[in-house]
Amino acid sequence: MLELLLEPLREPFFQRALVAVALSGVTCACLGAYVVLRRMAFLSTALTHSILPGVVGAVLLGLSPYVGALAAALLTAGGIAWLSARRGTSEDSAIGVMLSVMFAAGIALMSAAHAWRDFTGLLFGSVVSVGPADLLIVGLTTLVVLFLLRVLHKELELASFDEEYAELIGARPAWLRAALLLLVALGAVACVRLVGALLTTALFVIPSATGVLLGRTLPQVMGWGVACAVGGGVAGLYLSYHVPGVPSGAGIVLCCAAPYLVARLRAPRN
Amino acid sequence: MKPNPWWSALSDACFGLVPRVPYAEPDPRGCAGSAIEAAGLAAAARTGGPMVFTDISFSIPCGCRTALIGPNGSGKSTLLRALAGLVPIQRGSAQVLGAPPRLGRARLAYLAQRPRLTDPFPLPLRRLVQMGTYAHHGWFEECHHGDEAVERALALLGLTALADRPVHSLSGGQLQRGLLARAAVQGAELLLLDEPFVALDQESREIVEAYLFAPEARFTVVLATHDPADAARCDRVLELRGGVLRTVQACAGHPHRHA
Repeated sequence: MLELLLEPLREPFFQRALVAVALSGVTCACLGAYVVLRRMAFLSTALTHSILPGVVGAVLLGLSPYVGALAAALLTAGGIAWLSARRGTSEDSAIGVMLSVMFAAGIALMSAAHAWRDFTGLLFGSVVSVGPADLLIVGLTTLVVLFLLRVLHKELELASFDEEYAELIGARPAWLRAALLLLVALGAVACVRLVGALLTTALFVIPSATGVLLGRTLPQVMGWGVACAVGGGVAGLYLSYHVPGVPSGAGIVLCCAAPYLVARLRAPRN
Repeated sequence: MKPNPWWSALSDACFGLVPRVPYAEPDPRGCAGSAIEAAGLAAAARTGGPMVFTDISFSIPCGCRTALIGPNGSGKSTLLRALAGLVPIQRGSAQVLGAPPRLGRARLAYLAQRPRLTDPFPLPLRRLVQMGTYAHHGWFEECHHGDEAVERALALLGLTALADRPVHSLSGGQLQRGLLARAAVQGAELLLLDEPFVALDQESREIVEAYLFAPEARFTVVLATHDPADAARCDRVLELRGGVLRTVQACAGHPHRHA
């Protein structure tokens, strides 16, 4: 039994994958608390999916995929803000438009470049191929996100709970919203490598949805979310190591969903 | 719960890296003469919408409890929101505590008729009341919570027993008292209250009335109401009807509040 746990640890790729999963779990779960409480789940889906054309474009141009991913995520966030700034288009529809347009652009680019095989890793993630440079990027993102969440904690909490009061005291909820979007974009870019564009939303939403069921304060929600994301991530890695054919991204998401289901079944109905 | 020393040190290190920036220009404290002075005021409920009133003028002395009455849609809420700086003034001028209305004023508290709060949100009532201290802080600043002012405000509004309850488990009246406790912690000198008694049961109502009409309290209150009994308790009654404001009752009967 112990051997089942220890055996993968001797593989360098597995060690790197564990670190990457732990770091991105912390990032996504802390941001995810706001994503879930502010009902931004659809927005985070749009951000993660819109990364696709950015990465494909960057690779075709010979740039770092992270640069392309970040540019595409920022373009999407800006596009949503611009489309929904006028009356007649709700934010919901603006997100739907940007999400499908960007994803379609990505698929068109991939198809035109005849590069389906190279980019399946992007859709489904490949934690196995995480290199030291990827670890550095995920680590830096985690630091930046945690730092900003700490120094802006009281503002973000207030603006997420009572936007009008934040506005009254001059705490600029619109700026805070933009800052949060930027952080979610950063987190998404760092995590796409691990679980893929299609499943990154899961890391934002599932652990934090568990946290909301269990925590009574915002830091508690984040704490439970981190525990669920890191625990689920590590369990998912082992699952995909031992069960041949289960991709790491899918394993991670399934293992994160298990504690959510338990918490949901045990939570009181109201 | 005692904070972990490692966590505190790490947290302090984070705050040490960023400058402290105030949310807005600070206001001088103290109310002298008029709390509100409005001349020829016009405002719309939302930008681009029709004006709900086009030319109203009034003044409210410091310490006066004023009731704002009038039928639905007469613009009571818009007037309060305009004074709070939440909707722009289209024409005319207003001085609120000695300055034109704007956002970011720690000396003013506004309570909406139906506050739009995110629900559910993991927030104990005590933390909600503590948010009143934020107005006196700024960006990138940690507020060290749990001070006496918060406990005093909780006790004042009869909320001590509920302090650790999550806000979404409170009744409408309890939440309303919590929001007033937040204004009390903020130490606001001007309270703009939009129908503060609507959701209250008898018990909540008595507590809120005792707070708002306490003779020793030094703040100025403007409250919108439909209830003639509430209006009668106020020093001054203004009626907004058909875009026209008229004084039904001037400040009288409570001379001690106009010192």
